[in-house]
Amino acid sequence: MKIRITEALDLDLATEKWCCNRCGKELIPARENYKKGCLVRERMPMEVHNPLIENSPFSFAPDPEWCRIIEFYCPQCGLMIDNEYLPPGHPVTHDIELDIDGIKRRYGIDDAKAKTKDKTKKMGIM
Amino acid sequence: MSNITYGRDFEVVQRLKPEPITPEEARAMENLDPTDFEIFNHKMNMIGLEGKETTQKLGASAGMRWGDVAFGIYTAQGDLAICATGIWFHAALGQIPVKYIVKHWTGDPSVGVKEGDSFFFNDPFYCGVHGADMGLAVPVFYKDKLICFTGAIVHSGENGATEPGGNPSTSRSRYDEGFLLPPLKIGEGYALKEDIMTMLTNFVRDPRTLVLDIKARLAACRIAQRRILDVVGKKGVDFFLGGLRKVMVETASAAKKKVMELPDGTFRHPVFMDTVGPESSLIKLNVEVEKKGDTLKLNFKDTSPMIPDRPMNTYFQGIIGLTMVYLCGWFFHNLPANNALLEVLEWEFPPDALVNASGDTPTANAPFPQVAVCQSMFHIGAKLTYNYDHLRAVAPWYHGFGFGVYGGFNQWGEPFADITGEMNATGAGARPDADGLDVAGSFFATMSDCSDVETTEADKPFVYLFRNFFQNHGPGKYRGGNGTGYGIVVHKVPWIGIGTLGYGSKFPASVGIFGGYAASTSSVQFLRGSNIKELQATNGEAIPSNMLELYTNKPLEGQRNMTQITTPVGPMMEGDAVFIAAGGGAGYGDVLERDPALVVEDLRLSLITQWQAKNVYRVVYDEKTLRVDEEATKELREAEKRERLTRGVPYEDFEKEWLGKRPSQDILKYYGAYPNPSKA
Repeated sequence: MKIRITEALDLDLATEKWCCNRCGKELIPARENYKKGCLVRERMPMEVHNPLIENSPFSFAPDPEWCRIIEFYCPQCGLMIDNEYLPPGHPVTHDIELDIDGIKRRYGIDDAKAKTKDKTKKMGIM
Repeated sequence: MSNITYGRDFEVVQRLKPEPITPEEARAMENLDPTDFEIFNHKMNMIGLEGKETTQKLGASAGMRWGDVAFGIYTAQGDLAICATGIWFHAALGQIPVKYIVKHWTGDPSVGVKEGDSFFFNDPFYCGVHGADMGLAVPVFYKDKLICFTGAIVHSGENGATEPGGNPSTSRSRYDEGFLLPPLKIGEGYALKEDIMTMLTNFVRDPRTLVLDIKARLAACRIAQRRILDVVGKKGVDFFLGGLRKVMVETASAAKKKVMELPDGTFRHPVFMDTVGPESSLIKLNVEVEKKGDTLKLNFKDTSPMIPDRPMNTYFQGIIGLTMVYLCGWFFHNLPANNALLEVLEWEFPPDALVNASGDTPTANAPFPQVAVCQSMFHIGAKLTYNYDHLRAVAPWYHGFGFGVYGGFNQWGEPFADITGEMNATGAGARPDADGLDVAGSFFATMSDCSDVETTEADKPFVYLFRNFFQNHGPGKYRGGNGTGYGIVVHKVPWIGIGTLGYGSKFPASVGIFGGYAASTSSVQFLRGSNIKELQATNGEAIPSNMLELYTNKPLEGQRNMTQITTPVGPMMEGDAVFIAAGGGAGYGDVLERDPALVVEDLRLSLITQWQAKNVYRVVYDEKTLRVDEEATKELREAEKRERLTRGVPYEDFEKEWLGKRPSQDILKYYGAYPNPSKA
């Protein structure tokens, strides 16, 4: 059974893996940071944010001395699963650390049951 | 004084959650008829709304006139049961000053709390946010029994700080930040005490506005008092007390139920800010939310340290308040906004962190770190709620403020000191199914407006050169809304003082979610000795009509100074101009998934630039007809994806190179140990 956690990420409860929502590629075990299962690219901000003023310390674009864009791609289909704006060298954030056992208990499934289903399903009631 | 030591009360500010239910309230709740309770609940909310509208219509300051207003009905213990506002932090924090009144003044023979009294307050230690937010509350008695309080909190702005407008960016201690009053009795016997009013007006640059705002709050409180006494007269005291308490009990119960349905886990989002008062400097707010059962626990370990002599610090109360702004607006949107919502929240603030100010530390710019934490809550909230209800998972609205503060004498010779309203004209964050609204408002002031130009010009010595869309949204599958760009020219006075406030000039204030990009950074241009008056005397064709024109093909002449958004107040002469941007909302999702038709439609409406269409959204189109070449666009986007797979590297390889980098030491002056401040 897969449940969708973000726009780009599914969680496979049977295999306990993060998966790309678009192509289904298994990225990494769900108890790890999903970003470790992605291809990672550092980009200079001006590649995305065009400076409106040239040769100015304030240009309406992030300053590359202060900020870089780190993009995380699905290694199979190239979807940008997430990105982070970080100062140079700042560690990547482990932003989602789910209680996998708790989620499985909530569904009332054990490992055997989980392997029999394979559909993206909402967990909530709304 | 009977039970107080002079100085701040560190106990009462911890009592953010509802007070224990009294036996009287418990008995009264048991006897409530469900239908009567629903009618009562609606009636109280209508009284609250009338209070908000009355306050807004009678007041004079920019904040009050344009809706920066909260009106509440408090229990006799001081909890805020009913709150009409779009300023949700007041719904989460408004109880503190009233609890202070209950704790300190009800039993104090030198002050007392009696029918006809009124109390005024603005110390951010009790109100939670900053000294510009001022409140007034009155006790309501029925047959000599204190049954509740009514109160109004509004951003009045001017409080006699070292700079006009109530947010001095140059303050070095709280003694630079104007009057900061704990709850003070300013009226008794249904009359304001003129000696107190005279003292207050002597503190500020704009006494007329201060007095009108105080009287507006008081009038609204009295009208609400009359309405409440009408209800109590018909239904009885027990019904009223039980009803108010039941509103809070049901709010807490519903909030816990909603939180329970979210997945358990730990969610993190660090925010980086680039402004410390008048300096550009990097600081970090590290936000972690642990969700377990029906509780959300906030932790701020590894946040930058408190800065003893710069006003970027905030009391922890303000952080709780702005956390609740996200929760009230985007998760508890269908629940009453009152302090019972705090029953789901726990928190842990490191001592001496920037988000846990103490001592004489200045806090005038506290709203900046507060809204930055709220930025984190948008990110964390999106990841918490996507699985529960994906439509709740929205990108952050603009968070970096971007407004002017000013003071002097206006064109009518009257003193004035206030702020511009355009902070209420920012872009909304993109949503899972739609773009963010352009010039939507302010995420923390959802019932507020940015004023209209003509009204502002009527009593302020300004002429707006322009005010309209600025292409500063965050790109994405759905883009953020664009904010406002505006230019103000000093007009019909020799000079006034103008400064600007906000952050996000070097490091973007609002970053995207799920692969969406950040909104543009923002900057301010001061133009002195300009040729604007000369151009206005011509046909005006050379005058830029928006920010893009100003910075591309229609520059103005004069002495230009491009700066970070926060700039201390300084003199600006007649004809000088300042150009400010209220920022855009952040993007949602991968830009390569954006419908090309939406991209060219935005081009048609001048909501994005040609550069963005080609280089960010990767759309191929005819520049004259704006017709999309679908095949070429598909090929270009596939090529971009192949480029990603080529340029992207495995995480371990990335980390090996990345972790060896570091910003230059001169921008880390206030950061603490890099990258994790707690490692110092």
